[in-house]
Amino acid sequence: MSKLIVAIPSKGRIQEESAGFFARAGLDLVKARGQRGYRGSIAGFDAVEVAYLSASEIARHLARGEAHFGVTGEDLVREEIADVEKTVEILTPLGFGAANAVVAVPQAWIDVRTMADLADVADGFRARHGRGLRVATKYVNTTRRFFAQHGIGDYRVVESAGATEGAPASGAADLIVDITETGSTLVANALKVLDDGVILRSQVGLVASLAARWSDEAREAARVILSRIAAEEEARTTREVCARLVTLDDKVMRKAAAKFGATTREAHEDGAVVFACPAKQVAALADWLISEGARTVSSARLDYVFHAENELWSRLSAKIRA
Amino acid sequence: MESACRETTTKARLDAILAHLAREGYARREPKLLQPAALFLDRKGEDFRGRLLLATDAAGGEYCLRPEFTIPVCRDYLASPEAGKAAAYAYGGAVFRSGAHGGADELTQAGLESFGRADREAADVEILGATLDAAAAAGARNLRVKLGDAGIVSAFLDALALPPVWRRRLETGRARGLSLDAIFAPPTGVSEQAGVLAALEKVDGADARKLVEDLLSIAGIAAVGGRGADEIAERFLEQAQLSAGAPVEKRALAETFFAIEGAPDMASMEMRRFADAAGLDLAAALDVFDNRAGFIAARGLALDEMAFSTAFARHLDYYSGFVFEAHHAADPDGEPLLGGGRYDRMLKTLGAEADIPAVGAAIFVDRIAAEAA
Repeated sequence: MSKLIVAIPSKGRIQEESAGFFARAGLDLVKARGQRGYRGSIAGFDAVEVAYLSASEIARHLARGEAHFGVTGEDLVREEIADVEKTVEILTPLGFGAANAVVAVPQAWIDVRTMADLADVADGFRARHGRGLRVATKYVNTTRRFFAQHGIGDYRVVESAGATEGAPASGAADLIVDITETGSTLVANALKVLDDGVILRSQVGLVASLAARWSDEAREAARVILSRIAAEEEARTTREVCARLVTLDDKVMRKAAAKFGATTREAHEDGAVVFACPAKQVAALADWLISEGARTVSSARLDYVFHAENELWSRLSAKIRA
Repeated sequence: MESACRETTTKARLDAILAHLAREGYARREPKLLQPAALFLDRKGEDFRGRLLLATDAAGGEYCLRPEFTIPVCRDYLASPEAGKAAAYAYGGAVFRSGAHGGADELTQAGLESFGRADREAADVEILGATLDAAAAAGARNLRVKLGDAGIVSAFLDALALPPVWRRRLETGRARGLSLDAIFAPPTGVSEQAGVLAALEKVDGADARKLVEDLLSIAGIAAVGGRGADEIAERFLEQAQLSAGAPVEKRALAETFFAIEGAPDMASMEMRRFADAAGLDLAAALDVFDNRAGFIAARGLALDEMAFSTAFARHLDYYSGFVFEAHHAADPDGEPLLGGGRYDRMLKTLGAEADIPAVGAAIFVDRIAAEAA
């Protein structure tokens, strides 16, 4: 089994978003037996196998080295994997699924605004109620690490599979640790996030396993996939800007970089120059080039921008070799 | 080869300990490997979950491989016909702990527990003596014994009559090993609620609760969860008290008291002098202390070489009286080779109808092997 295994969430919006992410990079996910298959491939890549798994399983598969790449949230990576830095490499965010893991308490606890307040309440809680504070969460490990940092030890986790934010109202728990995108469900349940209660800001990312066995075949497939992803990402976020200047010198190129974040791709002796420029800076760069003597400035959207050196792959290959 | 060798010596040391305790009349108990996880989590807090090796049954019930023996042995005692009567047990075998960054350890632990004896100081010393003898039988040499007394500490705190909020901070802070400076530091973040605190300073408990209820209803917040308006009001009052700082003279007394240490007889005299000068009545607790010291000397243990400290506490808050630890003399600040103490209040939390006197100790057999190697 020397193929490159890519683990993709098996259902919901996150599956569609993942497929969209790969498709933009020209990588089409193909399911083996129609929509219901749990195995698939990437069109044109014989050395790649796609495994459709539930979101939390993906982090565990990466930790055990049963998948090389996986699409999963940082919240789950940090919850499921004990030694994240040694086990996986978070390669690139996919640009969706941004959410925070937070500590939220009932709004009625107007005396509790910080984790220090919560620690103080936890200390006195057992004497008053004959039991420790109860925290509803599915992020048991994340909670324990964060609470320990804040000196809170005397509490019990009430594990919750879904609708965690309803636990305080139903009396099943006193407070919660949960993931939230906008915070509106918390407010609807009369909960508030503590001032220093954001445990982590998470988004869905492409994550590589450092524990997997990386055969030559898997490495090569990974290199090609990452170069396409990087090429698409750069093409999507930058524009190619062409102009011809009367005097094209280092000073102009340095200024373009400093003022507009534009890097010079080509500079010719006749004054013709090609910049790669962040999409938002194109108009400003064009104005400035005209003020510097350009007659015409054109900008183009590219499909892909490939580089001989691929930052994603060099980062990963350095780690899996070590 | 070396590890196989280490294993045999650990096994031989464990056998020597159990043989010694059997001769001393401690009945062997063998609690199950698999224990309900809640047993430990309810008492030691969720933070302990990270140290447990967990297993789940089909219905979602949580179990763990036993992380220690004392609580399971207490349960066995309560389930036995001897429950409530005097009984002395020994145990030994593997305990299981998970490391902070994953990984799991199987450690060898032995120990003994004594239940139901009303002659507490004699029982304290019998456990201390039997533990030291058993460790010696396993090859532990050059032990340095540290003593503490949670009974004297709580008698001191009772007599000192600190405001409840300061007493709580002191007790939880000590259980966490914080310095007195850290414990008595004023809380942070209180200034932002200065308006509420100032308003509450002038009122009593019932008015404070009414004020909090009004605040909540003006803001349109429904009370959810286990903490009611009275509890929130009370904490506001406490915060006001905290931000005013601990009473200066009481803090000074606490600092003097928790600095007392030395050989038990010397420390006892110093505590009596301290109590007289401070006008605090610690006589009953100090009589208990002296009585116990007498038993230690009578048993032929080197009392003067033991180091008592008022500040010495084991990092488990279930101890209610005598506590002790022994370290290798060459490594006095490392992990103890053995440790134990009195925990009279625990059995009631495990289902006993009333408190039952209990004192016990554990011997960390691997550490004896490591020191001896």
